[in-house]
Amino acid sequence: MLLQILILLLFCAFALRLWYLQIHRGEEYAAKARENQLRQEPIFAPRGLMRDRNGELLAVNEPAYALGLVREDCKDIEATLKQVSLWTDVPVEDLKAVYAKGRRRVKPFEPLILTPNLTFDQMAVIEANQLHWPGLEIRIRPRRQYQYGTLMAHLLGYVAEANESELEKDKELALGDEVGKQGLEYMLEKSLRGAKGLRQFEVDVSGRKLAQRVLKKPKAGQEVSLSIDLGLQKLVTDWLEGEAGAVVVMDADTGQLYALVSSPSFDSNAFSSGLSTEEWKALRDNPMHPLQNRAIQSVYPPGSVFKLAVGGAGLANDMVDLKETVFCSGSLKLGRHVFRCWRRGGHGKVNFERALVESCDVYFYKLGKKLGVDRMSEFAKACGYGVKTGIQLPHEKAGIIPSRQWKYRRFGERWQGGDDLNMSIGQGFTLVSPLQVARFVAAMINGGKLLKPQLLKDDKVVVLNKVPLNETQLGLIKQAMRTTVDGQRGTARRLRTKGVDVGGKTGTAQVVRLTDELKKLKDEDIPYKYRDHAWMCAYAQKDGRKFAIAALVEHGLHGGSGAGPVVKAIIEYLFNGKVMKRPSRKH
Amino acid sequence: MAFDRRLLFSINWPLLGLTLVLFFCGVLNLYSASGFRLADGMSVAPFYQKQLIWGLMGMFGMLVIMLIDYRHLRTLAWPLFWFTCLTLVAVFVAGKTIYGAKRWLDLGFMNFQPSELAKICILIIGARILSKERERLNFTRLAYVVGIGLIPAGMVIRQPDLGSGLTILMILGGMILYHGMTGRVFKTLLISIPPLLPLSWFFLHDYQKQRILTFLDPTKDPLGAGYHIIQSEIAIGSGRFWGKGFLEGTQSQLRFLPEKHTDFAIAVFGEEWGFLGTLVLLGLFCVFLYQMVVIAREAKDLFGSYLAAGVFFYFFWQILINMGMVLGLMPVVGIPLPFISYGGSATLVNFCLVGLVLNVAMRKFLFKQ
Repeated sequence: MLLQILILLLFCAFALRLWYLQIHRGEEYAAKARENQLRQEPIFAPRGLMRDRNGELLAVNEPAYALGLVREDCKDIEATLKQVSLWTDVPVEDLKAVYAKGRRRVKPFEPLILTPNLTFDQMAVIEANQLHWPGLEIRIRPRRQYQYGTLMAHLLGYVAEANESELEKDKELALGDEVGKQGLEYMLEKSLRGAKGLRQFEVDVSGRKLAQRVLKKPKAGQEVSLSIDLGLQKLVTDWLEGEAGAVVVMDADTGQLYALVSSPSFDSNAFSSGLSTEEWKALRDNPMHPLQNRAIQSVYPPGSVFKLAVGGAGLANDMVDLKETVFCSGSLKLGRHVFRCWRRGGHGKVNFERALVESCDVYFYKLGKKLGVDRMSEFAKACGYGVKTGIQLPHEKAGIIPSRQWKYRRFGERWQGGDDLNMSIGQGFTLVSPLQVARFVAAMINGGKLLKPQLLKDDKVVVLNKVPLNETQLGLIKQAMRTTVDGQRGTARRLRTKGVDVGGKTGTAQVVRLTDELKKLKDEDIPYKYRDHAWMCAYAQKDGRKFAIAALVEHGLHGGSGAGPVVKAIIEYLFNGKVMKRPSRKH
Repeated sequence: MAFDRRLLFSINWPLLGLTLVLFFCGVLNLYSASGFRLADGMSVAPFYQKQLIWGLMGMFGMLVIMLIDYRHLRTLAWPLFWFTCLTLVAVFVAGKTIYGAKRWLDLGFMNFQPSELAKICILIIGARILSKERERLNFTRLAYVVGIGLIPAGMVIRQPDLGSGLTILMILGGMILYHGMTGRVFKTLLISIPPLLPLSWFFLHDYQKQRILTFLDPTKDPLGAGYHIIQSEIAIGSGRFWGKGFLEGTQSQLRFLPEKHTDFAIAVFGEEWGFLGTLVLLGLFCVFLYQMVVIAREAKDLFGSYLAAGVFFYFFWQILINMGMVLGLMPVVGIPLPFISYGGSATLVNFCLVGLVLNVAMRKFLFKQ
């Protein structure tokens, strides 16, 4: 009897246990067996290429060597990290931090990327020693490479390793992935990135890879063609070398940008291969602010360039009599204040056109007084000033078009008559971006259409608004701009180009009101930071091709001499295919 | 000597058949357990071939043993016992040390392990002594029987080979239980043994303590001592109801499962044949054991009956301990599963002992004279 009972007990106990392991918890153990056996790794999708309007490559992908650590295969994490630190010169604390962060995101049998960019030499050394350091794995992954790192930095922006909050927000990102941080790389992230694929392989207990299978094919990111003309971009960049400033060249009919330059610039490539803290600080604290895209993120007083808008407001409100002349004595008195014209001796009798061509301040003081801030503001807003253009780049600034309420809110003061006068010549509170100026000029020659500035070749034309001027009125402004270039006394005579219809307007924007002491100095002797900003805006058209150009050179002194030459070079390039070299400078 | 046809009639065919079935299940499983996957196909180590050869030798040995009347063993019991003790002493004097333990005698052509001999010897001497005891065992008689067992067992434990030493005592213990003891003795043992067990902790080696600790919590050291248990449970559990199929066990083919052709062979079986297959195998083992019980009951003399009971316990303990370990119910101890685990001499001995039981069964009618 005893023996039978023993057999029965044996059977029941083990049958129960088998049921428990294989049926009750079978699913769970099967998953564990699969985890043992199958490992998955992503197949990286190449980021979409970027080209200029002529097909020239601007951004490509090159292979980069990333160092990964498979926790489950690593015997001694501490020692391995120390060794990696020796190889890569990355401080061991940093590696530990990466490891600690990664532990939560990466499964134990998947490689945790310790450092995404090994040099070839580092890679070779690690590869040679890999046998002694189980768990380390070198992965080849695409890395962004910019063919013209500094030339396109403000447009393309850059990619860099995704940070904690980006990883949190976007579940498709994995530790060590690159993500667009600035410029088009940031704005077009969704379409440029593509989608990773998935590869699965079987491993044995020593981590050897056996059979493998592609579970999901990677989807390459979409290719993008910019509206930018690389040659023009380069030409403008060369002309602005050593200066702080911005230039915008826009197709007046479509809003497509042919060039958008902000100087000085930085190298996008520095970011995709990992920027050290010192390098980052140097860029951030550089007094010339190379990271700032001055064409859209910096706003300046427009100076006389704004007279085109004030003149337009006069026409639109029917407050300009074309035959009427105004006498410019060199100054205008308002209350106790004297408002001076830039020409001390005065312009004499000035009509609408001559006032624009010779940029007579007194004429516009009077016009401004007549119009008042409300009409000027309303019209300027309709011209796209004080509002964002909607360009597909991050952190655009709207600038400022003041109004009575604005001033009260800002300073707690009432709008005064003198404010009208300052506003009429583009000084005072008004601030505009170079891109807004270019767009305004485009509207003057395309029938008044205020366009959305476009950066991609395939972008459709988007008309945001209509400037409230009829054809005749637009013609008047255009004619005045033309005479500014063609006329004997025009301020933009240096833009004259044979066979091309060119019109322009200069501007000089005061940075500070110069003290009498400074006024006595010669231009070159005024300290850089007190010098006026130089503006030049222009249109150029021939055979149905129309362009609007805006150039701003910070502290460039006078519009014509400071910002004119680069605009002239642009016109030569666009219509004559000529690459004008910038004359070597004296100082 | 004329061959008695009744011998043939009385062979316990089910036991013989089950033994062969279990053995071939073992060889088949071994074929899978000794294979592993490579990048281009599969490689199979020749363990299953060796097992087959040992098995054939074992079957031959079984036949030989069936032919010789087991009653001769009665007279041979004592000389065999003393001979065994002599070899055990020889181990101390001239034994060969492997892995820090002195367990082997070098015979020139092979290494001989006297502790294996001691396991067989104990069931013969046990049968001899117990068959002479007319009454249930009282304290003195119990002390005598256990004392006899302790001589070889003590020496084996000193080698050190705790596993084999305890096996010897457990076989003898099983036989004593089968024989029976007085109520007083039984009650005293029932009360006194459990409190004494924890004391044995202090006599264990460090590695043995470690194994027990690991058994209690395998996750404490998943890559070290706990690895065996964890991977074994994963292998068996992942087989689920139907199993992954022959040669399809990933835990075994990719070598996550350690000792897969020896002590953990049943885990390979569990992974590939699932709950259904393993339950059938367990059932076969139980019927195999049951046949021995039948033989022990029907034997015509007490010596034969005790002999069958001894063999019963020899197999019973191994099955219990091995499967208990593989299924995660007991600490890891190096005891193989009869007929399923790879092991040459173990296979040989297993067949011989089945032969011994069959021998008893064959001669159940011979005494009607």
